[in-house]
Amino acid sequence: MVEETVEEFKNANLYKGVHAVALEEFYTSGHRTCQGCESALVMRDFVKASGPRTVVTGATGCMYVANTSYMTTPWIVPWMHTQLAAGGASAVGMAAGLKALMRKGKIPKEKINVINFSGDLGAGDEGLGGLSGAMQSPYDLLVIVYDNESAANTDIQASGLTTWGAQTTFSPTGSVKRIMHERWKKNLAAMMAIGHPNVKYVATSCATFPPTDYMNKVKKALSIGGPTLIHTIDPCPKGWDYHPRYSHVLGELAIKTGIFADYEIVNGEVRYTYDLRNKKRTPVREYLEKQGRFSHFEDEDYDYVQAKVDEMWDEWELPGILPIKSGLKVKK
Amino acid sequence: MIRLEVNYRGIFQKTLAYHISGDIVYIAHKEGKTAFSNGRYSDDPQRNGIPCANFAYFSKDLSEEDLEAEASASMDIKEAEVVIVVDDTMVKGLEPWGGYGIRPINEKVVKNGVMLIVSNRKPADLIAQMEKKNYDYRLAIMPGEASFAGLWYFKDDMTDVRVLGAIAKVAPEIASIDTVADYVSTKYKSKEKAAAARKAYDEVKVSTVKAGEGIVWPYPKPVLPGWKSFDDGVYVKGVKRGFQMGPRGQNRNPDFKRGTSKTQRPVVRFDICTKCTLCWYDCPDEVFDPTTEGLYDVNYEYCTGCGRCAEVCPVEDCIVMVDELKFENQDSPYVLYKKDPEKYVKWAEEKKGHERLMPSPVTGKGNTVTKVEASKPFKKGVVK
Amino acid sequence: MAVKMETKSVFDREELMTGTDAVAEAVKLVDVDVFAAYPIRPYTGVMDRLAKFIANGELDAEYIVADGEHSQFEIGKHASSVGARAFVGSSGTGWLYAMESIGVTATDRLPLVALVGNRALDDPGAFGVEHNDALLVRDLGWLIGWASTAQEALDTTLIAYRVAEDPTVRMPAAVAMDGGYLTHSQHMVRVPTKEAVRDFLPAYDLGNRRMHPDNPVSIAPQVNEDWVMEMRRQNYEASKRSRKVLYSAYEEYNEVFHSEYDNPFIEETNVEDADTVLVGMGSASVVARSVAREMRKEGKKVGFLKIRWYRPYPTDEIRKALSNASNVGIIERNFAMGAPDGGAITMQDLQSALYDAKNHPRVVDFIAGLGGREISKTEVRKMYEMTADKKSPKVSWIGLRE
Repeated sequence: MVEETVEEFKNANLYKGVHAVALEEFYTSGHRTCQGCESALVMRDFVKASGPRTVVTGATGCMYVANTSYMTTPWIVPWMHTQLAAGGASAVGMAAGLKALMRKGKIPKEKINVINFSGDLGAGDEGLGGLSGAMQSPYDLLVIVYDNESAANTDIQASGLTTWGAQTTFSPTGSVKRIMHERWKKNLAAMMAIGHPNVKYVATSCATFPPTDYMNKVKKALSIGGPTLIHTIDPCPKGWDYHPRYSHVLGELAIKTGIFADYEIVNGEVRYTYDLRNKKRTPVREYLEKQGRFSHFEDEDYDYVQAKVDEMWDEWELPGILPIKSGLKVKK
Repeated sequence: MIRLEVNYRGIFQKTLAYHISGDIVYIAHKEGKTAFSNGRYSDDPQRNGIPCANFAYFSKDLSEEDLEAEASASMDIKEAEVVIVVDDTMVKGLEPWGGYGIRPINEKVVKNGVMLIVSNRKPADLIAQMEKKNYDYRLAIMPGEASFAGLWYFKDDMTDVRVLGAIAKVAPEIASIDTVADYVSTKYKSKEKAAAARKAYDEVKVSTVKAGEGIVWPYPKPVLPGWKSFDDGVYVKGVKRGFQMGPRGQNRNPDFKRGTSKTQRPVVRFDICTKCTLCWYDCPDEVFDPTTEGLYDVNYEYCTGCGRCAEVCPVEDCIVMVDELKFENQDSPYVLYKKDPEKYVKWAEEKKGHERLMPSPVTGKGNTVTKVEASKPFKKGVVK
Repeated sequence: MAVKMETKSVFDREELMTGTDAVAEAVKLVDVDVFAAYPIRPYTGVMDRLAKFIANGELDAEYIVADGEHSQFEIGKHASSVGARAFVGSSGTGWLYAMESIGVTATDRLPLVALVGNRALDDPGAFGVEHNDALLVRDLGWLIGWASTAQEALDTTLIAYRVAEDPTVRMPAAVAMDGGYLTHSQHMVRVPTKEAVRDFLPAYDLGNRRMHPDNPVSIAPQVNEDWVMEMRRQNYEASKRSRKVLYSAYEEYNEVFHSEYDNPFIEETNVEDADTVLVGMGSASVVARSVAREMRKEGKKVGFLKIRWYRPYPTDEIRKALSNASNVGIIERNFAMGAPDGGAITMQDLQSALYDAKNHPRVVDFIAGLGGREISKTEVRKMYEMTADKKSPKVSWIGLRE
């Protein structure tokens, strides 16, 4: 995968294998994240890939609240909190400010990476408009949507990106209604790519599977320029209710079952990082059964999710990405 | 007034802790006492592993309002007559927030107060980890393993009702065992649970910790600055950039170490490591320090004991999660290994013992324990 | 007014401008680095003009058309955090849509400057002036200044940047003006030269709080109950310090630009020896001042007190100014449902300011000009008369159809 894109991203210094990954940390030990937190790795790895000449904003969410407890911080690079819906706007504001200051000779000209991270609730629901605004902007910026499928910092409430049927504190199972969360996961990355043709790079990823994939996608996004977006699937031991030891296992399963499509869209060209078209996919039940949030599922629920995942890959216009059924015709 | 504190391990014991601090209020009410309960607000939302606290307050004579005014004007309490600990590895200290240091588990217990700990260990082993006080207090041990369960799947192993029974033993002024048993059998419609509570009442072993028993607390207790002594603008300086190869070579957040979150720590067999880097790569707490020879040291001060490294390690028995209470310090295992590889491996295997604990994916569904007859022999030289 | 010869050097020209044009001119003169726009009447004229400056290459700044007021203000806030001088603005419900960001900009202590073109809050959709939008942020940690003429709008904007960015202050500042009146009516304005403004306004420097790789900081980490109170006190002190800085800024402004501001906070018209004083802000002041002078000629001892900077509130200045008055009336272009005595917002502040004063004049409140309704000379005269009349009610609605 890396080899294919080596020419195109020759200035991105992509990592060829885990042994090539930089050893120094710019987001370091001493954060209040849960044991086994995958999102913490999303933080650690993007700033590792972008290096010290980076400014970061973090939208309200568990990666804000858990990461910085005053007066301490795990951040080595400059970091600032931004409002739940302001992820996109915060990146635009910083990028615009730095650009103006450099052009006017008020600070030295150099490449400073501007990165915002927002959770699924921030970027996918309340901040969707602001994210769209950022994706339309002319600035070099990267928005990372770390998706643990809930308002993890408010004690696990459903978001627009929560998996169908999952128990959350807003969608508890009950004696009359077994399934309370009946919305299918928003297709965020594809929505942004398809809705903003100017955007040169949109990708989905998992921080730890396949190894180096996420960091290399960050490097690609930062090197290609303009507004870019990476949407990561972050298994959450707390909200998904599994032992922290298995975060990696669940991330890998999310991709191998196809419930979370792993791809990148480079200048309008779709490339599957993990191509599950016309391939045998791991049954989604293996993924769901390992999580307490689905402990209320019955066979019909597993079957429903499996059917929807099969539809994503077998019937969508762009399998796993663009949810328009094949055969859709323009009215004569 | 009696103040009761329940120390629990974040999300894995949240339901358990709320059962205890809630039920005991009902029970005291049954005996006509005034009582109420609350939790430390800054713990919410509870995180995996991070020590949290719930409180319950009781009085024979105060009105509810007077009791509340008396007891919980603050979001945390300074003293408690009864301190409950539902995971004995917390005796190593508590660090719920950044900038407050690592605090002793028995910091709040008053003179002649009681610490009730769920544990299968001997009192001496626990006292050896706790701060020495200048007065006597009681240590009560209720036999049992720490009970862990996640947010959605609660493991009903009766730890909650057993603790209620134990409370009746160590603090009868809160409630009698009969009231506890009545309440439990009515609430859960279960004679079995009522019996479990009574059994715990009988099983609790109470001893006295004399003034001066315990250790000199090794961690400083910081004092918070006044408004004039820190800068305007709600900012803090970032962690200073700094990295070099070798143990403790990476600069880390000096004011918030997460070590007290762990119930187990990874023990590494450097001699059979293949240097695949995955432990380091998958560690969400950045605790593995790279070394020039390609092995990775572990900084236990910051390790939260999640077990991801053990899970991704491709070499059987190379990284194994071991009970945190078996360890006396946070020293670098790599340094020990380099000093005397064979001795280190012998030591590591002693700590690992012959049992391997494997948690089920859904925490509340418990662990499987497998026996290991012979440990892997020491391997001379380092894999290239 | 004609430009005096000797002052020519600090002025570039005289030009016919609306209040929003004048603010745009000031924003250009401070060489703003970033501004973000989102359309809503009536403030939006300022952005129209700034956009034209960009189109004509008259201003070197990053100009962003945001996706909403919330993003617009967040863009300004974060541009300010990296050390860029920024400008935003809004009106009415748009200002309220940005409210979350308005709140954090103050607690982040970032010197963003915003124009609020006062507009009635929907529903029903209404374009006319009401001061509730700006007054809703009065306690959040913003400096709030009201302009009543185009010239004052330009001056106040330049001064707003100077005070907001002062290292001892570092607070956001709002320049308020009456929608439909000042935002749209045109007056001759003396436009200073870029050089003169550069001498008056030092370069923006956020110091050790600037977001830049050379200054790695973590801004606004999560706190528990052990910290917030100390931080509020720090902001409280900054707000107190801003009073002193406002005085020195106006002193210097008068020197450099030959303006005649006696006091940064208030403007008195025959107040000193008046028995009856009307107090107000914004464009109604123009009418109220003229009527005050008129009635003086008739021998009536009336005066008008205009409040310019509403936050920080000019407590001492007002006590001193009203130390001889026996009747005080307030022109309120805002509403406060269910407030004490049924009075509107500024009466609550004024009465508490007078509570510990030596002189305790009788205070009455006039709710007038809501939703942009005209406040005529006749009505103002009526307010003076009712204020002087001990039998008039505590609160009266003026210009209301019965």
